[in-house]
Amino acid sequence: MADTHVDPSASLVALRSLTRRFTSRASLFGRKRTLTAVSDVTLDIARGTVTGVVGESGCGKSTLARLVLRLLEVSSGSVLFEGKDLASLSGAAMRTLRRRMQMVFQDPYSSIDPRYSVRAALLEPLQVQGLRPPPAEERARVEQLMAMVGLNPSLVDSYPHQLSGGQKQRVGIARALALHPDLVVLDEPTASLDVSIQAQTIALLEQLRQDLGLTYLFISHDLSLVRYFCDRIVVMYLGRVVEILPTAHTPPRHPYTRALMDSSFEPDPQRRRVVTLMQGELPDAFELPAGCAYAARCPGATALCRQERPELSSDGAHALACHHPLM
Amino acid sequence: MAFLDVHDLSVGIGTLQPLDRISFALDKGQILGLVGESGSGKSLTAMGLMGLLPLIGGRVTGGSIRLDGSELTDLAEPAYRALRGRRMALISQNPMTSLDPMVRVGEQVDQVSRMHLGLSGAAARSRSIDLLTQLRIPEAATVHRQYPHQMSGGMKQRVVIAMALAGDPELIIADEPTTALDVTIQAQIIQILVDLVRSRGLALVLITHDMGVVAQACDRVVVLYAGRVAEANVVADIFARPAHPYTRSLIECIPRDGQAPGSLKGIPGIVPSVGNYAAGCRFHPRCALAQAVCQQQVPPLQTQGQGQVACHFSAAPSDG
Repeated sequence: MADTHVDPSASLVALRSLTRRFTSRASLFGRKRTLTAVSDVTLDIARGTVTGVVGESGCGKSTLARLVLRLLEVSSGSVLFEGKDLASLSGAAMRTLRRRMQMVFQDPYSSIDPRYSVRAALLEPLQVQGLRPPPAEERARVEQLMAMVGLNPSLVDSYPHQLSGGQKQRVGIARALALHPDLVVLDEPTASLDVSIQAQTIALLEQLRQDLGLTYLFISHDLSLVRYFCDRIVVMYLGRVVEILPTAHTPPRHPYTRALMDSSFEPDPQRRRVVTLMQGELPDAFELPAGCAYAARCPGATALCRQERPELSSDGAHALACHHPLM
Repeated sequence: MAFLDVHDLSVGIGTLQPLDRISFALDKGQILGLVGESGSGKSLTAMGLMGLLPLIGGRVTGGSIRLDGSELTDLAEPAYRALRGRRMALISQNPMTSLDPMVRVGEQVDQVSRMHLGLSGAAARSRSIDLLTQLRIPEAATVHRQYPHQMSGGMKQRVVIAMALAGDPELIIADEPTTALDVTIQAQIIQILVDLVRSRGLALVLITHDMGVVAQACDRVVVLYAGRVAEANVVADIFARPAHPYTRSLIECIPRDGQAPGSLKGIPGIVPSVGNYAAGCRFHPRCALAQAVCQQQVPPLQTQGQGQVACHFSAAPSDG
């Protein structure tokens, strides 16, 4: 287990053996099948840090994000926010706590109600929490939020269809910040944006973190972006943490992390990557193999890897689950 | 003359002119990157090359497109139809919309070689399975019988590539073929395309907004901004000596290995919509180097080294 030496109350968020299963049927009368989207994840998120969670589609990173905010209930394990177990909180207590934990969604096109103007979208979280400012102060509050995320105040009465993707994502960020949260979960906030707008948005998020002392959990499939933006990197594969890099520049020791790194192209034709064509893709998440889930795609896999799943073990801050780690 | 030679191509939609005198050339066995943000005119260029502009109410208003020496802009639709899928093929961004959800994927690949190469059903089928195997699809015969919803995004995009290859084309236009995919799958698809160009001597126009993909795959690069060529050059010079401030900004949007925190900039503002272009250099409202001359005069596209650049202040690239 990683990070168990840390006292959970010292971190803003602590995940303890977090597990989430989903069941479904292959067909109407088929037998029930269980998929473990997040499996036994233990992690501490210190205040003011940026933790990156990286992995391909289906690795459980978005499920993890939703569990952290209790938008999904855990199957087992717990999420502790300042030492309090979220599952133990009543509806009212959870609602109050939500002010302190917010989310920015991947798709700004669908995460804002198309019938809401920018003003209405920014006032909604305040209204829901019973914190809507008196009418005389509304305008100032909305303009302050817009200024914070670099939106021109002239857009206050615009509707989502009148905004660009980047502007919509800024509205999404402003909504998340309206309640002065401590933790912001960023679920692929730039995946649907042009690279130019992606870079703008990342620069804005960096600035906001500095100004407001925010803690980020940043979910992405883009390892080069995560390495640029995050203090620490959690690599997930099929629901499990396979490696935790204590700094963005720690060399990876898990072959999967290495493969992710080799997949992100640098803007330099002198440093072209050698891409080895992998034979397979992700195995069926409903029928995971007995051993290491990555073995089928791993160039260094041995019989041991196919028989026995490597446990996540930690050497100081660097955690790793691999029988044959890279040097 | 180059295999594909586009000269001063302009495209009109209604009274607007979203593409203004685009030129580039491409030989077989080469990859040309067409780069720019959404709204730069990349996909419109692809539609123009494929003769698909009427679908969106557009038309070629000037210039020429020559494929292997013959002019395409004055080709009638039946003649264009014989060309599409046979000598030139398009791979579009979203594999989900390129595949018919109701038809087995293998049959969709078969149709191309039956129609364009006149193959029998059995011959088309074995050709499709061969192609799927070459694209590293495991158990291609099984995949041939599957429907799109049974496949992952990366597998679907491989099927779309197989469809593009089935008519044995010489020119492929790939419009953001990896944007909707995970980075690992993106790397695989780009590698497959590069291998195809090298092994079959295809000409590939690769449309992307990602300078990382350009650096990895392309031989030559054309940077478009708001419907005009900002800069064109061989890939090494584009990255070592970007002459246009827009090119430089695009490159700086991708974080480099070990880049210091807080140093990623992005490009302020957004691409203007067609009809709202600035006078003079269309990039000047977003450009840090802009002077009065940039607001007044359109910078001409001038030859510089092995490339061309359209900028009043391109003479002294900062990191040359």
